[in-house]
Amino acid sequence: MSAAVDRTRPPEGGPLRSFDFPAVERRRLGNGLDLLVARMSRLPMVSVDLFVRGGEHALRAERAGLAVLAAEALDGGTRRRSGTELAEALERIGARLSAQAGWEGTTVSLSCLADRLEEAFPLLAEAVTVPDFPPDEVDRAREQRLASIRQRAMDPAALASDQAASVYHAPDVPYARPVGGTVDSIGGMGRDTLRGYADVAYRPVRGGLAVAGDVEPAEVAALAERHLGAWTGAPVEVPDFDVRPATRARRVVLVHRPGSVQSEVRVGHVGVERTAEDYFPLTIGNLLFGGTFTSRLNLNLRERNGFTYGVRSRFFFRSRPGPFEVSTAVGNDVTAPAVREILAEMERLVAEGPTPEEVQATADFAAGIFGLQLETVDQVATRLSQLVVYGLPDRYFHEYRDRIREVELDQVAEAVRRRMRPAEAQIVVVGDADAVGPALEALEVGPVEVRGADD
Amino acid sequence: MSRLSIPVERHRLDNGLRVVLSPDRSVPVVAVNLWYGVGSRNEPPGRTGFAHLFEHMMFQGSQHVAKSEHFERIERVGGTLNASTWFDRTNYFETLPSHELELALWLESDRMGWLLPAMDQEKLDNQRDVVKNEKRQRYDNQPYGDWDERLQALVYPEEHPYHHTVIGSMDDLDAATLDDVRSFFETFYRPNNAVLTLAGDFEPAAALEAVRRWFGEIEPGGALPPLPGRPELAPLIGSTVRDEVVADVPLPRVIMAFRVPPYTAPEFATVEVARALLGKGKASRLYRRLVRERRIAKSVVVYAFPLLTGQAMMLVWATGYPGADPAVLEGAIAEEIEALAEVDAGELERAVALSETDLVSSLEHLADRADLLSMFELYFEDPDRINREIERLRSVTLDDVRTLAAERLGPANRAVLSYRPREDA
Repeated sequence: MSAAVDRTRPPEGGPLRSFDFPAVERRRLGNGLDLLVARMSRLPMVSVDLFVRGGEHALRAERAGLAVLAAEALDGGTRRRSGTELAEALERIGARLSAQAGWEGTTVSLSCLADRLEEAFPLLAEAVTVPDFPPDEVDRAREQRLASIRQRAMDPAALASDQAASVYHAPDVPYARPVGGTVDSIGGMGRDTLRGYADVAYRPVRGGLAVAGDVEPAEVAALAERHLGAWTGAPVEVPDFDVRPATRARRVVLVHRPGSVQSEVRVGHVGVERTAEDYFPLTIGNLLFGGTFTSRLNLNLRERNGFTYGVRSRFFFRSRPGPFEVSTAVGNDVTAPAVREILAEMERLVAEGPTPEEVQATADFAAGIFGLQLETVDQVATRLSQLVVYGLPDRYFHEYRDRIREVELDQVAEAVRRRMRPAEAQIVVVGDADAVGPALEALEVGPVEVRGADD
Repeated sequence: MSRLSIPVERHRLDNGLRVVLSPDRSVPVVAVNLWYGVGSRNEPPGRTGFAHLFEHMMFQGSQHVAKSEHFERIERVGGTLNASTWFDRTNYFETLPSHELELALWLESDRMGWLLPAMDQEKLDNQRDVVKNEKRQRYDNQPYGDWDERLQALVYPEEHPYHHTVIGSMDDLDAATLDDVRSFFETFYRPNNAVLTLAGDFEPAAALEAVRRWFGEIEPGGALPPLPGRPELAPLIGSTVRDEVVADVPLPRVIMAFRVPPYTAPEFATVEVARALLGKGKASRLYRRLVRERRIAKSVVVYAFPLLTGQAMMLVWATGYPGADPAVLEGAIAEEIEALAEVDAGELERAVALSETDLVSSLEHLADRADLLSMFELYFEDPDRINREIERLRSVTLDDVRTLAAERLGPANRAVLSYRPREDA
């Protein structure tokens, strides 16, 4: 029989095993596309992310959703084969191709067993360099997009997030609108619009090709030159814009959803860009505020008060300042108390700062979990892509854990004081206005404006 | 030839705890995964939702671990954790830096052996509120949120353990008592009704020794009580049964479900292949026809639920466009199911190739790898099955698919749940 263990205290950990982010081989192809390769040989998989710039933030309001729609129609066919032929050619060898656009640009992703890359890569290249956008496929994608917009309007969580974006930002800021566009902006888009957009935006200069997996970097480079070398063009222009708030006065916007048995709550304001100098302390500050299960917000709203199944806060880090936001869903009768507690926790953190224990525990969490999120080729390819998207140095992720561990208490206190502003918080509630309105008024945290879901 | 060779070791402690070890030293991460052989199927009448509420109570501390301490300790070392409850099982899992393996063993063994001293009414009331909010958020306040309740009632008769949902009813949650917590724990949360899997960075002999140290002294329990109700079930529903709902939903949707052989039957491989033929990838039958060519569906999804009790379930979801008639969607799904009779070898190859990529891709996550190993040990006593999954699918023939379609997917075995937006009605 084994010796008895002492259960009264946690066991001592063993020695920490060091672990490095995989080595990144970077080179620029003749056409200006940056190739980044990380070799990972755990399983015979490979993941490829081809990123091109000119995302939704580069589009005028009347073209909102165009980058997203084009990405969704991209697998509709190339000048050489139909959408179904493309899907069959990929799936026959077990490869998956997908395209997704966001604020910063478009990412076309390929994932397959490593020994299939040679066959699958040319199909990725074909989809991006000679897309066809057949009229039927554009119609299909547009109808799907319009249906998705309709779904978002009836899904309380999605509705709350979209409404909150429009409440945080001045109306002419791109981030004020839903990233996937509106019925008005999408409705008239046809083949010519999409072809025109792809022709300008799907260009190699300032883009990136991120490859992670069980592959030889030199072979990947040869593959990329062979199938993407002839792809050229001028870089897409991204107009500069300021991210201005709609107002700095605290207010409550109550979006009436009759019969809701729960309220979706968002509390936030304009935040900060990905490359901000206080990114690391702010990351710690946000994690301890609302980014983990044992954060201040979750322990208060869920574990102490039982108001909610969960609550979280986050900074949407983009190349321009994205929002800071607290989100949760709570019962009707506790909607006002939940808002009160969120604001109180925000005020307390800003006024008093975190404790040394919180900062230490959170830095340990952030450093530890970073390594856990590098298990898969998809995860590593995504990190490589971020180097390109945000212009981060090649060694950024190698140094990430050290940067996290170096963060000091005062830096976190300073970061949350600068970046979380409870007095300017915009409070958005999607719920039954008759059930939750009076208590929100009585809170006296700001004027309450009631809107219909369609306003 | 298989591309996979995942190492697998099986052990059993004297108290009946089954242990699966799958070392992989390539990243300094370890996944700890526990499956208990208890789920919503074990709930007696009047206590629906209790298995899931109990899962929440497992995070409220144990004799040597304070409330919230489980989360705090794991998060402190940069780990992640969670749990889930389903029809036949409940799982608990942590992924953490490998040098902290024993931390997870301490926490998991303490709640397996010494949960009850930490239970009290306040914690039960608090977690009851959390679960009720979970129910509101994920079911009651969601378009289509009642789909599983309606569909399970169509496919499984009232006396069958799958008739009721995992989340249960508000009334039954209200009725749960501390006595229920005690007896549920003593009956089901015993080492001889559990599988513990470790996957990742550890040395197997030392890890096994640590498992013995932490779990070895926990007392085994007695035999499990029989399942409530009548678990036996005819292979067919008997006809096409329907539930037509008009509700506040954005788009029409049809969910068609079939009773299929249970996960433990060899024929389930054919169900998985049929699922891939119909709904995996953009060259699949349903995507190609309904989404791309006919443009009558915005999306299609097909699931094969790996269930044990009586009969499992295959489900086809098709979401239509505004104003569409659900009957048209239903007819189109039926046509493609009948067309399974003409599937060719190329399509079969495509279905298996995509399934292989998806499997290898999921095995990159040590947490997913451990979860699959636990399932294979609990259900089959054969975790090495993980290395034969693709062969199992590859052995399915065109004839098998035709037989499944003829015997199980026809009008005598369909449950059809349809939603129409209130504004279209």
